[in-house]
Amino acid sequence: MIAYITRRLLLIVPVLLGVSIGSFALLHLVPGDPAMILAGQEATEEVLARIRHEHGLDRPLPAQFAVYLGHALRGNLGISIQSRQPVATLIAERFPFTLRLAFLAILVSAVLGVVAGVIAATRRNSMIDLAALLASLVGISLPIFWLGLLMMLVFSVRLQWFPAGGHGTAAHLVLPALVLGASSSAVIARMTRASMLEVLRQDYVRTARAKGLRERIVIYRHSLKNAMIPILTVFGLEFGYNLGGAVLTETVFSLPGIGRLIVEGIFARDYPVVQGSMLVVATTFVLVNLLTDVAYAFFDPRIRYE
Amino acid sequence: MRRILGLCLIVTLLGLAALPMAGRTAAQQTARGGALTFATGADPDSLDPQNTQSNPGEQVNRMMHENLIRFNAKMQLEPALAESWTASKDGLAWTFKLRKGVKFHDGTAFDAKAVKYFFDRVLGDEKPFKASLYTPVVQGAEVVDPSTVRVILKQPFGAFLFIMAHSAGAIVSPAAHQKWGKDLALHPVGTGPFKFVEWVKGDHVTMERNDAYWGGKPNLDRVIVKTVREDQSRVLMLESGDADLIVNIPTEDIPRLRKDARFTVESTPTARALFIVINVKKKPFDDVRVRQALNYAVNRDAIVKELFQNNAQLVPGPVSPLQNGYAQLPGYAYDPKKAKELLAQAGHPALKVKLWSPKGRFVKDYELAQAVQQDLAAVGVEATLSTLEWGAYLAATKAPAEQTDRELFLLGWSPSTGEARWGTFPLLHSSQLAPKGDNRGFFASKVLDDAIDKATLATTDQSRLGALREVQQIAIKEAPYIFLISPNMIVGTSKKVHDVVNLPLELTYLTEKSWKDK
Repeated sequence: MIAYITRRLLLIVPVLLGVSIGSFALLHLVPGDPAMILAGQEATEEVLARIRHEHGLDRPLPAQFAVYLGHALRGNLGISIQSRQPVATLIAERFPFTLRLAFLAILVSAVLGVVAGVIAATRRNSMIDLAALLASLVGISLPIFWLGLLMMLVFSVRLQWFPAGGHGTAAHLVLPALVLGASSSAVIARMTRASMLEVLRQDYVRTARAKGLRERIVIYRHSLKNAMIPILTVFGLEFGYNLGGAVLTETVFSLPGIGRLIVEGIFARDYPVVQGSMLVVATTFVLVNLLTDVAYAFFDPRIRYE
Repeated sequence: MRRILGLCLIVTLLGLAALPMAGRTAAQQTARGGALTFATGADPDSLDPQNTQSNPGEQVNRMMHENLIRFNAKMQLEPALAESWTASKDGLAWTFKLRKGVKFHDGTAFDAKAVKYFFDRVLGDEKPFKASLYTPVVQGAEVVDPSTVRVILKQPFGAFLFIMAHSAGAIVSPAAHQKWGKDLALHPVGTGPFKFVEWVKGDHVTMERNDAYWGGKPNLDRVIVKTVREDQSRVLMLESGDADLIVNIPTEDIPRLRKDARFTVESTPTARALFIVINVKKKPFDDVRVRQALNYAVNRDAIVKELFQNNAQLVPGPVSPLQNGYAQLPGYAYDPKKAKELLAQAGHPALKVKLWSPKGRFVKDYELAQAVQQDLAAVGVEATLSTLEWGAYLAATKAPAEQTDRELFLLGWSPSTGEARWGTFPLLHSSQLAPKGDNRGFFASKVLDDAIDKATLATTDQSRLGALREVQQIAIKEAPYIFLISPNMIVGTSKKVHDVVNLPLELTYLTEKSWKDK
């Protein structure tokens, strides 16, 4: 097991190298000059030249990449062109917001999705099943922007239950977590339903029922645990998507997360910020996938990692 | 009967007399204390005034810092940290008498040494971003006595007082600059009515009352400036009571908020001019008749009334009415017939052109370009409209003449010094051709250069304004742009909030006088 985890951890290195090359190439392919955006329309050529020089933007691209890579290997993510702050500091300030949000959202979707999926599967073709299917279809299709603004209109402006954006208290996180969790819960509900239907057909479920076990134990201990593997995979993927996709939720609800840091960094052509953030997000993605794989072994003892 | 009439009259008169008084006692009772939440569209870029170049940064800075001279809401200059000033006859020496007893937020004294320190900093090796406002103009500053400073200029400069009122002319505590250096941006120390508390990046800046403020104790205890990117989210925050003050309200939301008794919506004219630059290096735009025809083709009245719902001003030339030095001149009337005639004379009864516009950088920019596109079609000019993301747009419109095929492109310009010399020199002077400068349409004219230079070097207001009038006359005749409009700034507040400053430089901020009902 430990050997397996170590091997997987080592695999992060080529992944990060790929991400670095990819994001560097993409960013520099996009037209636009960070100095021009930073210094504004009124800036003189002298000021622009100084900004370019200060951040090494006047050097050839391969040299810029080499410098970036050299620094990154020593754990230095560089200095933001916009704010002149270390990128590592900016990420450390912003990433916790996104992690917390993605976590809460996956929690929301786990509870909603799994419960809805199980109920739908056990009452197949009933009205409840139909309702759950319909709700999940709507949940997948609703744009986050629209849903977020609608939730704010209803729960902040009309009912005044939750604040309209910002952060600080637990109440601030309710709406964003619901909005971000909505589409994940729909995906998880569908996966749970399908996986449960599969398992419920198995012989051991019939045996469990024949033994006279209570229905609840049959469903949750015998069936759901066996149905969990594909659901877990979806959990891992959805969590990753939430990390990257949180930007819309962060924008609507004015949360200073890493999604907004990346998008604002792209608009400003703040290369170090975007590259650094991509590395951190990619690392998290890989770690979450690893965690999912390890969790398989917990739900299915037959799975062993040698 | 007569008595009854008389009685009625007396009652009516009493009622009339009492009405405004009742209003006054209810509405003008200034309340003290409380925190005000202000939602704005972007994070400050810096809180070091000499390194700040965005409006979200400047408006926060203006609550904490002050200049020697400031703008009032009508863009007139008035004393701030300087009580009075005089210029020598040759316009080269400016003497400022400073306000006495003023202290920075860190307790150090504001005096002539602090002002000299400011000039030494912007003229010295540090070269903060905004130094370029001062380096071409100022030779140096000297302390005459603790409350008198003399500033020596390299050459007479008509707009000198305006660059001193610019947000970058704020005087920062020398002690704080020495202590924090580059990190001054995170630890601002000025003399303004509000003191810095914290800046959580991407989220908010908090300031608190400066009890030692020379202009009297500020009414508000705290001001929290929140970054709320999404326009609709800001509107919803105002409606839910999570924000007391919001900026950049989308035009579509104005009527609804105006109808709601809980809110006030102010639509304030600004110094920004929006126009479509014409690349005069490209044929047939080198022909002045073609450029004039494009100007005659556009129905500006309809744009102001319909597209902007009257939240915009007509701009006849390169300078918008709220820039100091604006001259009231007849611009191009809407005359499609004349446009067609001029195009026919120039030998282009039908013309295909490229039109570029940003999307979302200025209020209704793309819609404005669409309106122009339709007007042009009506006189036989077929424009293909395309857009680019702002960062790419800035670069594409600045490429040198031989590397670009740009023809017509929409831009906006708000001279941050508030006066017309800065509204024309960077954009139209032949020394400023792109890619070095901001003359992105490559317009070059000796007569215009001379007029601008005359305004630059003017030693009296009269000669400066006269020269600027000439600049605008020439520019209108030569038509280097399709002149368009100036969009208003639209600010919404809860009815509880009073005395917010909406400076036409698109800066909204609070002063010691701002207050909020309990």
